[in-house]
Amino acid sequence: MRLELGNIFIKDVKFSNTTRVDSGVLYINKEEILKEIGGDEHVKNIDIELAHPGDEIRITPVKDVIEPRVKVEGPGGIFPGILSKVDTVGSGRTHALKNVAIVTAGKIVGFQEGIIDMTGIGAKYTPFSKNHNVVVIAEPVDGLKQYDHEAAVRMIGLKAAAYLGEIAKDITPDEVKTYETEPILDSVKKYPDLPKVGYVYMLQTQGLLHDTYVYGVDAKKIVPTLLYPTEIMDGAIISGNCVSACDKNPTYVHLNNGIIEELYAKHGKEINFVGVIITNENVFLADKERSSNWTAKLCRFLGLDGVVISQEGFGNPDTDLIMNCKKIEREGIKTVIVTDEFAGRDGASQSLADADEKADAVVTNGNANETIILPPMKKIIGMTDYVDVIAGGFDGSLRPDGSIEVEIQAITGATNETGYVTLSTKGF
Amino acid sequence: MVKEIEKTGIPVVHICTVVPISLTVGANRIVPAFAIPYPLGNPELDEKDEKALRRKIVEKSLEALQTEVDGQTVFED
Repeated sequence: MRLELGNIFIKDVKFSNTTRVDSGVLYINKEEILKEIGGDEHVKNIDIELAHPGDEIRITPVKDVIEPRVKVEGPGGIFPGILSKVDTVGSGRTHALKNVAIVTAGKIVGFQEGIIDMTGIGAKYTPFSKNHNVVVIAEPVDGLKQYDHEAAVRMIGLKAAAYLGEIAKDITPDEVKTYETEPILDSVKKYPDLPKVGYVYMLQTQGLLHDTYVYGVDAKKIVPTLLYPTEIMDGAIISGNCVSACDKNPTYVHLNNGIIEELYAKHGKEINFVGVIITNENVFLADKERSSNWTAKLCRFLGLDGVVISQEGFGNPDTDLIMNCKKIEREGIKTVIVTDEFAGRDGASQSLADADEKADAVVTNGNANETIILPPMKKIIGMTDYVDVIAGGFDGSLRPDGSIEVEIQAITGATNETGYVTLSTKGF
Repeated sequence: MVKEIEKTGIPVVHICTVVPISLTVGANRIVPAFAIPYPLGNPELDEKDEKALRRKIVEKSLEALQTEVDGQTVFED
């Protein structure tokens, strides 16, 4: 399967009377986009605001972040099984608007939604401060159930991204990247001497607003299966996850998964990147056992030599991570796990809830319990009413002057476990 | 907490959904719970059946408390 991804670099975003891209500037007709994404019976009002890098703006509570993309050639449409029919995507050509994202915000759905600061120290902790954000604030009707609220906001965000993506269809991209994964027998013939490497992509599926969808299927109901990496670039996986702001995978991260990008960069040179195994993180022990048994079985069946495993979220999914790691290692396959840490504010506690001696190659994306003071911002998009109760916040987090003292787990994407982060470590 | 209480000489049963974590932490008597969001219940059952489920887990735990163990033991059905 071969996908050409055409990137269109956006320098600025402005409101205008027509939606278009002109000399690298994205102009949005606000009335038109509101008409396009409106009409949900569960939502009484939608507004859109713009937040640019460097603006003194705080966006909170943030639910999802989504990059605008469109299918230009090849089967299917973006977000298959949700916005488009369930055709298998991942081949042909797709265009993406870079440096711009839809951010859904507004009254809280879950209790762990995040914060994006566009300037100051907080901006350094979230990769999403570098985009021109088109923030969609959807106000639910009174008395709406949490699940209906989440579903409504999720669909509005995806529709907004698809609406903007549509403009990219007729634009000549600034850059075209080609990604290709051949059927495994062919790729092994082509690269007989390269180690076969797979990616085990763990998806947050604990229910209670920790959900992920694959081609429209609630991923807690899947058994582990194989995907071409390019399917994911076309929106085969989307986030319905309102929990764990720092280390959940917003839809933007699924579309731009850095592990997939890096494995492709080495494909055909150092390794043979044969594909992605997706698996879930469920709340029943039998599900955890079954899914990890199956990831190990699929890794062995593919004849892999090495596997990168990324986690989403923290706590009990640490067990899914460790089960995947040790069961795949038991098949004689080397693993690297990619995770983050909840090691207490001083960093001295145990980092993961589970452990195993086989987990001897670990990439960490930071300690989510570290605290930070976010300075007051001139403008709030959304509301700070919930700062004291979101995960990472505590009684008194929101101070009278508008500054916020929180653990970095409250910051969207701060310790993302696919490495889509700004934190790093240096040895001296 | 399991380990700290046991240090004082009082036996402890850890009712826990994710048994592997309990094993890693070092609990000696482990009774599997139902699910992470509702360890001692199941909201999908009617009241009578759910009460029976609860009672079963509690009774099994009381039994486990009185059972001599030699190392970490999981009390399965």
